[in-house]
Amino acid sequence: MIRIFESAGRPFVAFVEEFGRILLLLISATAWLFRPPFRFRVVLKQMEFVGVKSITVVLITGAFTGMVLALQTYHGFRMFGGEGLVGSTLTLAITRELGPVFTALMVTGRAGSAMAAEIGTMKVTEQIDALYTMSVSPVQFLIMPRIVAGILMLPVLTVISDFIGIVGGYFVGVKLLNINSGIFMARIVEIVDLDDIFNGLIKSACFGLILALVGCYKGFYTTGGAEGVGKATTQSVVYASVAILISDYFLTSVMFR
Amino acid sequence: MSKLSVEAKVGFFVVIGILLLGYMSMKVGKFSFKRGSGQDISVFFDSASGLSKDVPVEIAGVEVGRVRKISLKNGKALVTLRINPDIKLRKDVKAAMRTRGILGDKYVELIPGSLAAPLIKAGEQIVQAAPVTDMNTLMNILGEVAMNVKKLTKSLANVFAGEKGEASLRSIMDNTNEMVEALNRTVQANNKDFSAIIANFTSFSERLKDIGDANSDDIRDIVANMRAASQRMESLVAGINDITAKINEGKGSIGKLVNDKETIDSLNRSLAALQNITDKINRGEGTIGKLINDEETVDNMNFALAGINDYIKKQDTFRTYFDYRGEYLFDSEETKSYVSLRIQPREDKYYLLQVIDDPRGRETVKDTTRTIDGVTTTEHKVKVDRDELKFSAQIAKRYYDLGLRGGIFESTGGVGIDYYFFKDRLTLSLEAFDFDPDRNAHLKFKADFKPVNHIYISSGFDDFISDEGRESFFIGAGISFADEDIKTFLSDIPIPMN
Repeated sequence: MIRIFESAGRPFVAFVEEFGRILLLLISATAWLFRPPFRFRVVLKQMEFVGVKSITVVLITGAFTGMVLALQTYHGFRMFGGEGLVGSTLTLAITRELGPVFTALMVTGRAGSAMAAEIGTMKVTEQIDALYTMSVSPVQFLIMPRIVAGILMLPVLTVISDFIGIVGGYFVGVKLLNINSGIFMARIVEIVDLDDIFNGLIKSACFGLILALVGCYKGFYTTGGAEGVGKATTQSVVYASVAILISDYFLTSVMFR
Repeated sequence: MSKLSVEAKVGFFVVIGILLLGYMSMKVGKFSFKRGSGQDISVFFDSASGLSKDVPVEIAGVEVGRVRKISLKNGKALVTLRINPDIKLRKDVKAAMRTRGILGDKYVELIPGSLAAPLIKAGEQIVQAAPVTDMNTLMNILGEVAMNVKKLTKSLANVFAGEKGEASLRSIMDNTNEMVEALNRTVQANNKDFSAIIANFTSFSERLKDIGDANSDDIRDIVANMRAASQRMESLVAGINDITAKINEGKGSIGKLVNDKETIDSLNRSLAALQNITDKINRGEGTIGKLINDEETVDNMNFALAGINDYIKKQDTFRTYFDYRGEYLFDSEETKSYVSLRIQPREDKYYLLQVIDDPRGRETVKDTTRTIDGVTTTEHKVKVDRDELKFSAQIAKRYYDLGLRGGIFESTGGVGIDYYFFKDRLTLSLEAFDFDPDRNAHLKFKADFKPVNHIYISSGFDDFISDEGRESFFIGAGISFADEDIKTFLSDIPIPMN
């Protein structure tokens, strides 16, 4: 009888423990942010890795998201002659939701997994222990720069994704489906607010924090050799993606009442 | 790209992101910057239903502000409008609520007043305009009408419906019935009286007859008078008849005017003459006819128009160019400068006036023949004045890509030939001047290349068959520009007659 409760409770306890460890990691990373030595170049290197090198994949997903949205909403709006609303609808959808979320998911797949794999490999090959012996804090040297890079770079990527998504939607809507370009743009300007864009960017910064933190955490606590690294990588992507989608709901409910 | 530093890559990336964000913000956030400033005015609405904060305030469909606050005061809606600072409103401006679109978005429309009214100040209050018939008011009115109809039918129902109503209706019917019966009874009861009345009438007519009999003479007189009058009337009518008959016959001036054949004939004749004239004009006879019908007139007109056109075109093709060029002579290591004015009345010809500062100076050759004691000695004197300027004055004519020039070249006579390539970008020129029997002529070859408008570079060989060792390679450059001001006074010339 007790066993049943235990088996029910164990995963929960494990979850709470894991959550706590992640939080502790975040706190110590935050603390290390303000302590010398400041290694600006390391942060920059990570920003390049997370931001600049993700640009292609973000451009492609962004463009096609916008294009397919235009296509889908067009068929809906045509039923009651509201084709002019395609532009504003897809712009709202992209700036509020799809831009931040898709960008974060793509970056999770690209950079989050790489973080987990990289730190995980360092962990199982005891390079992290070597860092300790050289009195270099691995949290400061490895984790903090990645988190900072994630927080800073995701909004930039999201802006690019938003823009290219709207351009893609414009292309499909105006050039292929013959929606009037003036109405298309006028409705966007009329309906979309500055807040829509900025709230999307705040979201994306949160997603950047989540994906970097989860990736680093999974790598940092890797055990079990090469197999463990693989497992950590997979888990980091799954956990980060799920966490991003869940947090997206709550962030949305707070921001867009 | 791979050479770029990490900093540069990240910086570039971030800048792109910021630029895109800025662009999108400017696009969608067009109004959000304006929201801060402006003057507040307020207006009372009977109902602000459907109105919300930040909806637009428009004049003639142009957004001039936003609704800032909606509050309740004395049972009415007090709406505060924030008007953009660049909008000037008069005191008698009125505000109305309007509905737009199928979804019925509400907005506030301002109806500007007269220009004479003083400007409104911030914080002042304006009045609500008479509501216009939009869907809402129409509904309101229809609702009122329906209410009235309902009231009416209700009171009718109150009166007639129910037992009481029925009873009163019945009593009305009963009353009417009674009344008719009473009438009937009255008539029957007074039958005798009616008979008496008729009898009275009879006696009255008898008495009238008596009066007539007594005054029959008088009556006869009256009738006789009447007859005389009617006879006189008859003669009057006959007179009128006579007059009209006379007019018909053509007697008297009116009769003549109306009846005379001559009048009609002369009218006909004048019409015929008119017809004749227009026919002649049509056929092209006479001056006017010629003027209108002659092909020549049209030709002349066309020609004149063409001439005017031509003149305008000439004005148009007329160009003057200022030109400065410098040539560096490698031989003497000095620079030769040219300042020229090119007057080009037509595409294919121009006049060139040039002032040249030649470092070699201007040579004047003076042969003095003196006869002293029978011996004639000739003194050959060559004077070189290095400060003296040289002049050129040439006329040039162009045939397609070939140009010929002749005139004064550097203060001596000469000819030149130009060939133009690549839409005049490249010009090859050969000039020959200073024909002197004692020495070889001055030949100059040059190539001018104009990579952009107004500026050209030049290179060539100057005096290349010189027997005085003056042959020199040169390079140079120049600027050339059209001068519109000189054109305007030079082209004010008489029309060239073709």
